[in-house]
Amino acid sequence: MKTKILAFIVLFVATISSNAQIDRSTIPKAGPDPVIKLGVPVKFNMSNGLKVILVENHKLPRVSANLSIDNTPYFEGEIAGVSGMMGSLLGRGTANITKDEFNEKVDFLGANISFYSAGGFASSLEKYFPEILSLMADGIKNATFTQEEFDKEVQLSLDGLKSNEKSVTSVARRVENVLTYGRNHPFGEFTSKESVKKITLADVENNYNTYLKPNNAILVVEGDIDIKETKKLVKSLFADWKAGEIPSYTMPEITTIATAEIDFINMDNAVQSEIAIINTVDITLGDADYYAALLANKILGGGGTARLFMNLREDKGYTYGSYSSLSQSKYVGTFRASASVRNMVTDSSVVELQKEINKIRYQTVSAEELENAKESYIGSFVMDVQKPRTVANFALNIERYNLPANFYESYIQKIKAVTLEEVQNAAITYFTSDKARIIITGKGIDVLANLEKTDYVINYFDVEGNPTQKPAMTLPIPEGMTASSIVDKYIAAIGGKDKVMAVKTTIMTANATIQGTPLVMTMKAAAPNKTSQEISVMGNSMQKTVFNGSIGYTNARGQKKDMTEAQVNEAKSGNAIFNDLEYSSGELLRIEPLEGKNAIVLKFNDTEVYYDMTSGLKVKEVKTEKTPDGQEVKIPTVFSNYKEVDGVKFPYSIGIKSGPMNLDFVVKEIKVNEGVSDADFE
Amino acid sequence: MKKSILTLASALFVAFYSNAQKVDFQEYDLDNGMHVILHKDTAAPVVVTSVMYHVGAKDEQPGRTGMAHFFEHLLFEGTKNIGKGEWFKLVSSNGGKNNANTTDDRTYYYEIFPSNKLELGLWMESERLLHPIIGQDGVDTQNEVVKEEKRLRVDNQPYSRFLEFVKENIFKKHPYKGTTIGKMADLDAATLEEFLAFNKKFYVPNNATLVVAGDIDIASAKIMIEDYFGPIPRGAEIEKSFPQEEPITETMNAKGYDPNIQIPAIMAAYRTPSMKTKDSRVLDMISSYLSTGKSSVLYKKLVDTKKMAIQAGAINASQEDYGTYILYGLPQGETKLDDLIKEIDEEIGIMQTELISERSYQKLQNQFENNYVNSNSSVEGVANSLARYHVLYGDTNLINSEIDIYRSITREEIQAVAKKYLNPNQRLILEYLPEKK
Repeated sequence: MKTKILAFIVLFVATISSNAQIDRSTIPKAGPDPVIKLGVPVKFNMSNGLKVILVENHKLPRVSANLSIDNTPYFEGEIAGVSGMMGSLLGRGTANITKDEFNEKVDFLGANISFYSAGGFASSLEKYFPEILSLMADGIKNATFTQEEFDKEVQLSLDGLKSNEKSVTSVARRVENVLTYGRNHPFGEFTSKESVKKITLADVENNYNTYLKPNNAILVVEGDIDIKETKKLVKSLFADWKAGEIPSYTMPEITTIATAEIDFINMDNAVQSEIAIINTVDITLGDADYYAALLANKILGGGGTARLFMNLREDKGYTYGSYSSLSQSKYVGTFRASASVRNMVTDSSVVELQKEINKIRYQTVSAEELENAKESYIGSFVMDVQKPRTVANFALNIERYNLPANFYESYIQKIKAVTLEEVQNAAITYFTSDKARIIITGKGIDVLANLEKTDYVINYFDVEGNPTQKPAMTLPIPEGMTASSIVDKYIAAIGGKDKVMAVKTTIMTANATIQGTPLVMTMKAAAPNKTSQEISVMGNSMQKTVFNGSIGYTNARGQKKDMTEAQVNEAKSGNAIFNDLEYSSGELLRIEPLEGKNAIVLKFNDTEVYYDMTSGLKVKEVKTEKTPDGQEVKIPTVFSNYKEVDGVKFPYSIGIKSGPMNLDFVVKEIKVNEGVSDADFE
Repeated sequence: MKKSILTLASALFVAFYSNAQKVDFQEYDLDNGMHVILHKDTAAPVVVTSVMYHVGAKDEQPGRTGMAHFFEHLLFEGTKNIGKGEWFKLVSSNGGKNNANTTDDRTYYYEIFPSNKLELGLWMESERLLHPIIGQDGVDTQNEVVKEEKRLRVDNQPYSRFLEFVKENIFKKHPYKGTTIGKMADLDAATLEEFLAFNKKFYVPNNATLVVAGDIDIASAKIMIEDYFGPIPRGAEIEKSFPQEEPITETMNAKGYDPNIQIPAIMAAYRTPSMKTKDSRVLDMISSYLSTGKSSVLYKKLVDTKKMAIQAGAINASQEDYGTYILYGLPQGETKLDDLIKEIDEEIGIMQTELISERSYQKLQNQFENNYVNSNSSVEGVANSLARYHVLYGDTNLINSEIDIYRSITREEIQAVAKKYLNPNQRLILEYLPEKK
């Protein structure tokens, strides 16, 4: 009993004191830095050139093997895709085993083996690993290629290409590569229907016999292994893999551009624009300014705290994510800032992306930003460094890039040493906003009008990266759509024919300001064609136009002018309340995008009327009038903010543009079937 | 006699393996009802703090699809002590990573930090639960962001809508009929008040499971957890009752269109029981039998031998209340969609009338053994599984014992399940077609 009470008190006290300790308003302090233990791999080289890296880790009873053949990239030309095809055909039978037996063995052991043009990957439970590695080695060393499998792969490649033909993202990536590296460059060429059809079985065999060699190959084995046993296993499986003569290849120079430009690829099905601002860079892992460049990119666009993300997503809501990347390469690397954005904000996104790139070039980043970026890198390093895959990757990089053996031991130190000036210098060197390509893949009809307002020259390319013409900016009118179907849809959208026909009179008052002076517009109408429109300032009538069904006049500042016969005829034939009713006899011109939505344009006499294709509502009218000196002017009126009065929708915002003047009327009140008499039209 | 000794030996061998990688954990409830799961793993200096809330798209009100996922975005906007826009910065400047995701059944938030930042992770998650700041400006921005997410992941991607078409046909009453991302119009209609009400109802400790996994000291972690989460008040009990579906008794036919594709696809979709049932696990095995690996039945027949499909397979999309089992194919060359279904049906028919071979059965066992070893390879993955098994299955220890369920499945059960669920009159045939221009 006593101990129970005591325990209760202890517990109680403990709760009190611990609750008292925490202060939610400050960020908790970190504990002491964790101690990092860098894993040490075992390495050895074989006489055929194969380098082997072994990483021992007994956490799980599994092993993986990763073979990568690090040949210099080469140009495939008119048979582009041949190496990919060869890679796909590996594992479909060897001199020792049929394809079906091979697949059955791998699957039966619950294992995975995959091949690609420059290597392969295998993983399994530890107990099956020797068998799995031997199957992988056999697949690499003794591959056989048959016409049947080759034909099958050709068909699959063609269908695979077709299945991605309309994918906006895959078209965007393809053309980006063509434009960035050039069509005659290994990184710029791509597999096409035409190139696949040119590839022969002999080409595939030739590719295999030439390039799938141990000369530049690295094999990493990682997992629950015994080093001695595994060494023996690898040697027994790969010693008879014969080295070959790999042709030398010099990559063509990259052509850069002198002034930033927009390269536009039109895709009608795009609901987002893929924007990528790209320039090539010459930076390799281990370069003196490599760390500064990494940090500059981290601050600009390296994740959810970077400037691009904070600006384009968190502040503007243009995109789900905007990022930048700096890819190092022994051959040619790239800087790429990108976002997938909705069509309407494509131009604004380009502006913001460029603004951020310029900002990091021309202004030193803050000390806090740099500190945060460093901590982020160091944190990831600390967390990853003990994973066996990381140990293996580090060892692989040291081999590939000829780095000093202690390269990763000094990694944290090198990151910490980067200064603010070094970050800015790296940004200036590697992010060339003024000489970059702004590659946009999107729906031209939605986005080009605004892109043309930017300062950039726009070049057009097709989905394979060939220069082409600007796409058509209007859409064809669907079959069966007529002027009267559009007008019917409009009438239905504002309330339906019965309700519309029941409107006999209307009064509308609306306010606007012109150069700071408030205007009041009062419009009255009575069926079928009586109208009165008055604009007044501070209670004084400035202009009044009246038509009583047979005659009319305009009174402007006391000067009265009767309507001409032509004006009378026009007024007579119109419908005073809903002039759209007579547009049924008009003509449909085109479909064009307006504020991100498609509008159908109907022409009636000298007026073009725009109806929203989705809602059916009238969104704009453009009237062409002749000035006294005979010139034609277009006067657009835009309608929005529809609200219901007595079951009929009226626009409550009306914008009129006449020459340099903008009049934005906000409707104060609309009355239906009340307060209008014939006296109003005298 | 000799043979049976051998079997015994190999059984012991298997048992040895499963012990070697057993995931040790402790679990308990705080007074406010929050469930806590702790797992110590010193392999790397890393700690995961994560919270799974038992709320997902299926808990949304009608006409408010996408609410749960939208709300997940709002919970990064800031808290009483973490300013707007500071969340991500706080994580990254402390060397960590974080994210969240929403499904029809649950919402999951997590941070991964170097192990000396455990307290920071706990503070952040407790702030998120105790007093998030949810304002109109956040709603407005995230509304646009979520719409961009939908455009990016769904509207602009080929073959991304099939699940939407399948679900709206397979489910008539249950909220699984909608998609997690939701409809744009519903997102627009959601008001600030609705989000606040959603928070009050679902984001309470008694609806939450906290997992702390990694290089931790268990005793001090427990004290910190009590400090940060203990004072958070319990919320009202959450009643969950979802409408039951009537069985499907006649084939349904539907068409779905996608402007981003050239090659059509055909799908046969069946409504199946909850992922908690043994039958659902049997269906996992049937999926593997049909489509895992190049020697699997559908790949070998349709892609490799007959060259009728560029891709064919089976997906067991199992969820808390029901599952959706989907067989699909993309035709190669001139192959007709109907013919693909005929070929697939033929294989299902064989499974229903004959036992799969001993060798195929052993292959399945080996594949599931391999999956099991790989499933707990990262501490992030372990944390997620611990939370999922507790929240959705009600048994955290399934992380260790689910493999026993798979091991216990017999060839006869595989046949019986194929017979019970995979019949033509119990399914939807969806033709997934390029949108006509």
